[in-house]
Amino acid sequence: ANPLRLYLTCIRNTLEAAMCLQNFPCQEVERHNKPEVELKTSPELLLNPVKQADELENILTKKFLRFLSMRAEAFQVLRRKPVQGYDISFLITNYHCEEMQKHKLIDFIVQFMEDIDKEISELKLSVNTRGRIVATEFLKQFI
Amino acid sequence: MACFERASPALKEILLKIHRAEKPMEVDHNIHEFGSVNYHVQCSASEPLYTYLSISTPLLSQGSQLSSELQPHTLYMVKGICPDVMEIIKPPKQGYQLTLKLNFARIPHNKVSMKMITDISSIQAVILSSQLKDLLRKVDSQEVSREIYKPIKLIYHPREPFFVIKQLRKITAVFPMRFKENTDVIIATAFFQELMDVGSSGTFAKAPHCIWSPIPPPELRGEPIEDLSTNAGFVSFDITSRHVEGKKLDKTVWNLLNFYTLVKYHVKSTRGYIQRRMRMRLESLVQVLPET
Repeated sequence: ANPLRLYLTCIRNTLEAAMCLQNFPCQEVERHNKPEVELKTSPELLLNPVKQADELENILTKKFLRFLSMRAEAFQVLRRKPVQGYDISFLITNYHCEEMQKHKLIDFIVQFMEDIDKEISELKLSVNTRGRIVATEFLKQFI
Repeated sequence: MACFERASPALKEILLKIHRAEKPMEVDHNIHEFGSVNYHVQCSASEPLYTYLSISTPLLSQGSQLSSELQPHTLYMVKGICPDVMEIIKPPKQGYQLTLKLNFARIPHNKVSMKMITDISSIQAVILSSQLKDLLRKVDSQEVSREIYKPIKLIYHPREPFFVIKQLRKITAVFPMRFKENTDVIIATAFFQELMDVGSSGTFAKAPHCIWSPIPPPELRGEPIEDLSTNAGFVSFDITSRHVEGKKLDKTVWNLLNFYTLVKYHVKSTRGYIQRRMRMRLESLVQVLPET
């Protein structure tokens, strides 16, 4: 829990600094308003992969994050397709910064990551527990 | 592959209906199960006492040849189901391996009738189990034959063969495990780890010793490469004399025959469980966003 806490604190601090988006017309093309964060070299907000200890955690993570990404519209700030090399990506635009409260948006993202980590741990435990119950019932038949 | 229920539910329902009918009825019914098991039930008003039951089923074959003929020990076990009620008709009805003549007048109309009809409806399980029973009965045999240590390949479903190896004082059953999807492989592998873990606990000291290995066990050395190519390893059970004493023989055989089915069912239901949980979690995660 401590390593995760430190990691999440780092994410929070980074988000605090990064979320300073404003609406600004394109300086090169009249009446255009382009996402400069994407067009420039500054990367959009990216998440580092959730820690994956073994194959079961690996597939549970991939399945769950893919499941959420496919329903990205429900989250507004989630990207339907993660950036290559990552499991999940958020995209926060200036519109989001205008419509939502910045500190609450940051809280949401940090909480989201905590919840994902917790859910995957619980899912893995449940899968193993189910397997254990089935194994127990199967072996009971022999005695 | 076998299924968890020994008695065919559809066959049981028809036989119960015939037995309980107040007057003789005309029945000419075909039942198809699992894509390869066929039953034919026939009775007529002109011969009210008798019902004819024919069955065709893939057999547990040995080696690479799929067998379709019932062996004498199988017929002997079939006769033992309800000897007062059933009689084997030779030759069997065309297209079937076995035809039985059932005399329902000999089944009393009380609680016993349900058990007898259930036993008759389990005929496919009896046929399927008979060969493996014959093999496992010899677990304690002191006879040293050419067959000792030589793997016997048993095939019910062509894609799911398993091996039985007779050794001194035990018989090892080895199941090569294969799945189409990587997710299934990982879920199954996690299950096999639990199986080994539970099996090695003190509570299950009397259960067959169970091992999972990602590579072929030494007992299968020399077998064709196509039989040893798997993506989910090999599960082995050591069957000793205590697992085949008396009524335990039937249970042990049935458990082994159902092992593939059990694993597949567990994998499928685990996938469904994961999906349900993800859906539930999605709802709770989405609820947080409007509050921003």
